[in-house]
Amino acid sequence: MRFAPSPAEILHDFRADENLLVDARGVCMNFKMPTERIDNLKEYAIKFLKRKIKYKKFEVLKDVDFRVPRGESLALIGRNGAGKSTLLKIISGIIRPTSGIVLTKGNVVPLLKLGAGFDYNASGKENIFLNGAMMGFSHREMQQKYDSIVEFSELAEFINAPLKTYSSGMVSRLGFAIAVDVNPDLMLVDEVLGVGDIPFRKKCADKIEELKKTGTTFIVVSHSMSQIMTLCQKGIYLENGMIKMQGDIKTVANAYLADCKALEEAAAKKS
Amino acid sequence: MASQTKKNNTFVLNIRSFFSRFRRGTITLVSLVVKSVKNQYRRSALGILWTVLNPLLNMLVMAFVFSSIFGRSGIDMDYPVYVLSGNIVFSLMSAATTNAMTSIVSNYDLLYKTRVPYSVFPLAQVFTAVVNFLFSLIALVAVMLIRIPNGVTFHWSMLMVFVPWLPAMLLFSMGIAFFLCTVYVRFRDIKHIYSVVIRLWMYLTPVFYSLSSLKLGDTAMQIMELNPMLHYLNYFRDVICGVIPDWKANAICYGVGLTSFFVGWILFRLSRNRFILHI
Repeated sequence: MRFAPSPAEILHDFRADENLLVDARGVCMNFKMPTERIDNLKEYAIKFLKRKIKYKKFEVLKDVDFRVPRGESLALIGRNGAGKSTLLKIISGIIRPTSGIVLTKGNVVPLLKLGAGFDYNASGKENIFLNGAMMGFSHREMQQKYDSIVEFSELAEFINAPLKTYSSGMVSRLGFAIAVDVNPDLMLVDEVLGVGDIPFRKKCADKIEELKKTGTTFIVVSHSMSQIMTLCQKGIYLENGMIKMQGDIKTVANAYLADCKALEEAAAKKS
Repeated sequence: MASQTKKNNTFVLNIRSFFSRFRRGTITLVSLVVKSVKNQYRRSALGILWTVLNPLLNMLVMAFVFSSIFGRSGIDMDYPVYVLSGNIVFSLMSAATTNAMTSIVSNYDLLYKTRVPYSVFPLAQVFTAVVNFLFSLIALVAVMLIRIPNGVTFHWSMLMVFVPWLPAMLLFSMGIAFFLCTVYVRFRDIKHIYSVVIRLWMYLTPVFYSLSSLKLGDTAMQIMELNPMLHYLNYFRDVICGVIPDWKANAICYGVGLTSFFVGWILFRLSRNRFILHI
């Protein structure tokens, strides 16, 4: 059996290596879900006494190991339900894995849903400050960012109107503008890059490119292969919660596309 | 190897995060409190003035209804001041806990998509109740000013409402808030149960009557004394009337407050990793 380093040793090595942003080892995530949803006491008591609460175990992630060095953006690809989004949430610290070690360094900004935490009764302006607070910026710090956020989102005319009067595109634009105005070390992106109309998308792509130049590393979940190819250097192909392949983005993406094609053909044959 | 990693404890760490998480938490807490105070009276003509008017009007109703039903026997305080003080203290606790109960579930979106510490949500509701309470104090002072001709006097000991009374009351409410929001994630019935409990609790607390007027026996009196709100309320009324509470009253308020806080907090800490499974 291989000698397994203790968490303390892993932590020490991780601290020593300045260039390593993420170190994940043996990450497992299990959900133990009751087969029926029980959310009231009466049912719970009855089922508990009858010992009828059955749990079904879902293994969302199994022994996932990977490292992300600074400047080497990573793409997570795989079919729906492969565990990509769960992995992102674990890296960002939103949920804890069932077991395993996840170490991150620097300022990590999760961008999992645009406009998470927006208050639709408040104005756009109030929401900028509220959302900034949730990313850890004080009112004063947000004041300095405010102008550039409004300018980027192109919402200057509507910024004092309540958010519920905005179109969904406008909400996304505001969310995106706030999120990218932070210069993080590591940004975790879950399928949110294709928002707004075509000119705005171009603007987003430029902004991402700019962030990349200033040293932000990305971990991206996306189904748009062209976007991934331009943004990322490395890829991880997840299948049923396990890493099927990891390495250079082109190889991994081609393997995934080949698998998808094979599936398509198999489906075509059946019908 | 796989079976070995399963035995390892989970170990998740962002090297910079201890300070930044705390900072993020406090900033978020402040902005959530500001947001919910603003939202209460958004689009109402009188706006924030309602936080003062509301307890005042409530007091008028209660003073009118209860002074004629229960009589004022056994109350040596000015009756409107008595009712209002009881009312604002009890609604501080009940608003804090009732609103905090649903906070984890209703902020599901934030919880799951941003990296805010979970405890921020119940705490934001507790502090919103505190802000409202501070506004209500203005109402109390106003009533006391109006009642000066009826013999109400101001005492310096009133400042003891802020320290040491308020922190003890806060610890007590936070404990219950943590407990309730944890249980609510798992069992939604608690909302309905608690609304009955809080009503019963209010009637068992001498908010608008006095305990002595009930003419209870010794055992019944001892049972009534188990109600922590009774002690918080007595403490509050004492300092308003210029009586400085003895060490025993302080010990009870802080003892109960700290116990409640730690029990609630520990339960919350132990269950929070499973919140997302049940929401």
